[in-house]
Amino acid sequence: MIAALLNLQYHVFRNRLVSRFKRLKQPKYLIGAIAGGLYFYFYFVRYLFHGIVGRPGMNLAVSPEHQKLFELLGALALFIIVLLAWLVPHERAALTFTEAEVAFLFPAPITRRNLVHYKLMRSQLGIFFSSLFLTLISRRFGGNVWIHALGWWLILSTLNLHMLGCSFARTMLLDHGISNRFRRLLVFGLAVAMAVGVWVWAKKTLPELDPAAPANLDSVLDYVQRILSTGPAAYLLYPFRLVVRPFLASDAAAFFWALIPALLFFGLHYLWVIYSDVAFEEASVEASQKLAVRLAAVRSGNWQGLKKNRKPRRPWFKLNATGPSATALLWKNLIGVGQIFSPRLWITLLVIMVVVGVSLANARVGQNLLYLMDILIAIALGYSLLLGPQLLRLDFRHDLPVADILKTYPLRGWQIALGEILAPVVVLAAVQWLLLLMGAALVFYLPGKYAALLLAIAFSAVVVLPLLDVLLLLIPNAAVLLFPSWIQTGKDSVRGIEATGQRLIFALGQLLVLTVALVPAVGGFVGVLFLLQLVFGYAAAVPFAALAAAVILAVEAGLGVMLLGRLFERFDVAEEPAN
Amino acid sequence: MVQVEGLTKLYGEFVAVNELSFSIQPGEVVGLVGPNGAGKTTTLRCLAGIIPPSRGTVSVGGHDIVRDAIAAKKQLAFFTDEPRLFDYLTVGQHLNFVARIYQVPDYERLGAALLEELEIANKRDALPGELSRGMKQKLAIACGLLHSPRVIYFDEPLTGLDPLGIRRMKDSILKRARDGAAIILSSHLLHLVEEICSRLLILKNGRKIIDGTLAEITRKFSEQPGDASLEEIFFRATSETGAPAPAVPPPLPRGNEP
Repeated sequence: MIAALLNLQYHVFRNRLVSRFKRLKQPKYLIGAIAGGLYFYFYFVRYLFHGIVGRPGMNLAVSPEHQKLFELLGALALFIIVLLAWLVPHERAALTFTEAEVAFLFPAPITRRNLVHYKLMRSQLGIFFSSLFLTLISRRFGGNVWIHALGWWLILSTLNLHMLGCSFARTMLLDHGISNRFRRLLVFGLAVAMAVGVWVWAKKTLPELDPAAPANLDSVLDYVQRILSTGPAAYLLYPFRLVVRPFLASDAAAFFWALIPALLFFGLHYLWVIYSDVAFEEASVEASQKLAVRLAAVRSGNWQGLKKNRKPRRPWFKLNATGPSATALLWKNLIGVGQIFSPRLWITLLVIMVVVGVSLANARVGQNLLYLMDILIAIALGYSLLLGPQLLRLDFRHDLPVADILKTYPLRGWQIALGEILAPVVVLAAVQWLLLLMGAALVFYLPGKYAALLLAIAFSAVVVLPLLDVLLLLIPNAAVLLFPSWIQTGKDSVRGIEATGQRLIFALGQLLVLTVALVPAVGGFVGVLFLLQLVFGYAAAVPFAALAAAVILAVEAGLGVMLLGRLFERFDVAEEPAN
Repeated sequence: MVQVEGLTKLYGEFVAVNELSFSIQPGEVVGLVGPNGAGKTTTLRCLAGIIPPSRGTVSVGGHDIVRDAIAAKKQLAFFTDEPRLFDYLTVGQHLNFVARIYQVPDYERLGAALLEELEIANKRDALPGELSRGMKQKLAIACGLLHSPRVIYFDEPLTGLDPLGIRRMKDSILKRARDGAAIILSSHLLHLVEEICSRLLILKNGRKIIDGTLAEITRKFSEQPGDASLEEIFFRATSETGAPAPAVPPPLPRGNEP
């Protein structure tokens, strides 16, 4: 039976690989694969066998004096993960199978133990790739590549077995009438007792940390090392150190000697899992159905679908039955954004921002801090432009799977395009205006010759940022209509190196288009600023220059919306390429 | 009400729909049938303005679906085989949304009546995720009928409905036809087509091979009056040789059952 399951696993893996290679015949995947391959080579693979050359500061190959500390910190991290695995989850043991696996394997004459074996075999594939990926990252900082790879595999595999065994144990406790609440209380109590025990022991046994020491990282680390390596913590962390030790081994011999106890520990976990006779089938069926729903939601670009216990949401505003039709799409997408951005929240945020800004300014904390706050706000605004359009996807990227329905509406292409991109623009602009309001509140209290200029810049940003948001959102929306399979929204999202490459190419393309779009606006801004500052000075000239730039950006945005509408009208839902 | 002239849809070299011409009058229910891959869904999508035809014209209520798309689309409703809903809008919000899109001022009264007729009035505040497949279908229909379309396309309308739902759906289709709507219904369920369609359009490989009333088609494909069911006619019309479909095999002799 195991042979049949192995055969299944082999064919699933092989067919997946073959289909990946086959699709490289299509230029979009081939180009993506080349770009992704180059990215992985230049950032990871070329360091695989010789670390980062010429950057000694980055070489974190574990020195003997740090080896023990790293081992202890690694063990502590594992300890916390394991503790959380016993503390947090509340579900019964549910090995996650796909719906097809449930349909074929569960009614088949396969023992429960063989199903567990199959699950373990299947998880090895994921662990193998995770180990490879982590090795590519960790190897950049030195160490032996094989030791890293095997070390990661051992850590992840042992952790995987422990999680499985832990879920079985939780289920057995439930079957014996021990509730989740009682188990959590017990684990939490134990964790607190252990923490208190370690703290009391350290207080009594170890010398106090020098008050001046916090400034010195080495002495803090030394203190931590002493706490973790002696007394009760040493016993608590010992098994976890066994798991981490092979990864940190400095050479083959050390690795070999560290491997023996680690494998023994791994074997004990394996026996624990295999000999736990726990009924997981019912919960697994439920889990597989949930997984299928979640996958379908993600593959259709609907990350909101991942949320549990979804509740109806109140609309942001009342939608009358008559009026501009594009407003209906804005209304719909704002509901999709969720209650998290409800008007109540905006008012609360507004009040908080103003109060914090005014309080800071009145507290006379010093000009430097106020300037620093303004710089931080400027950075946050920059990030909102960079990340906002990627995070807020309630537009064509979300609605493309229902493009055929949108196309039946008696609306022109530009109306649908405008309605689709308005929701993320509204949310993004609101966040940016709040940040600007806080920045302005700080500037208002800032004495000095730059205060007026900063206020002028803030006012300019209020006008310019929403238009920039429109432009920034037009680009991915146009891209999704031009290259639907390149963007994460299709029925089957692309994964692998080629997907990474596609995203890289898309990001570069987006940057290029944005740069071209900004050139006229920047030209207009600089031209008007140069002329007006001769007469009124910079502080007065900036808002007018920004208005000039805003007019240019508005024209570009308008043209962009028209173009997006044309693209949508021409978008052929039947030609939506499958992967 | 619907006028189709030389409709052709190409995907590269592949001809999905080939020189299709027909017209539908108000009150007519036309059954669009054909084997898998015959071009039924592509035809409906072209007729609904979802995909542009490669050649030919489609006119809905006198408005060209490409050149005068807005006026044409205002008059039609298209129901896909899978109900396509927005998963974060409740039933009531769906109606509100569609009312604004189609500018239906009296949508609250009309919507309430539709929900009542489709027996989902008690689900007004439910999200699609809380509805069964049949209820989702009903919601999609309520949304589509809210603006009182004069042309309605159904693509496999009975999928996922329970027997009572099927009965109600048939009644609903016939009611719209009696009220003067022109209806095209694409389905593999030949008994449904036989029951409610006044005319039949059989497609094969993108081409129209039969267009006529059930009586005309039966006359054409029967050797003697009344000797062939619609199923038999369908097989005769769509098979390459025109030979009848293989008969149902006789039952196995007793004792030989597997």
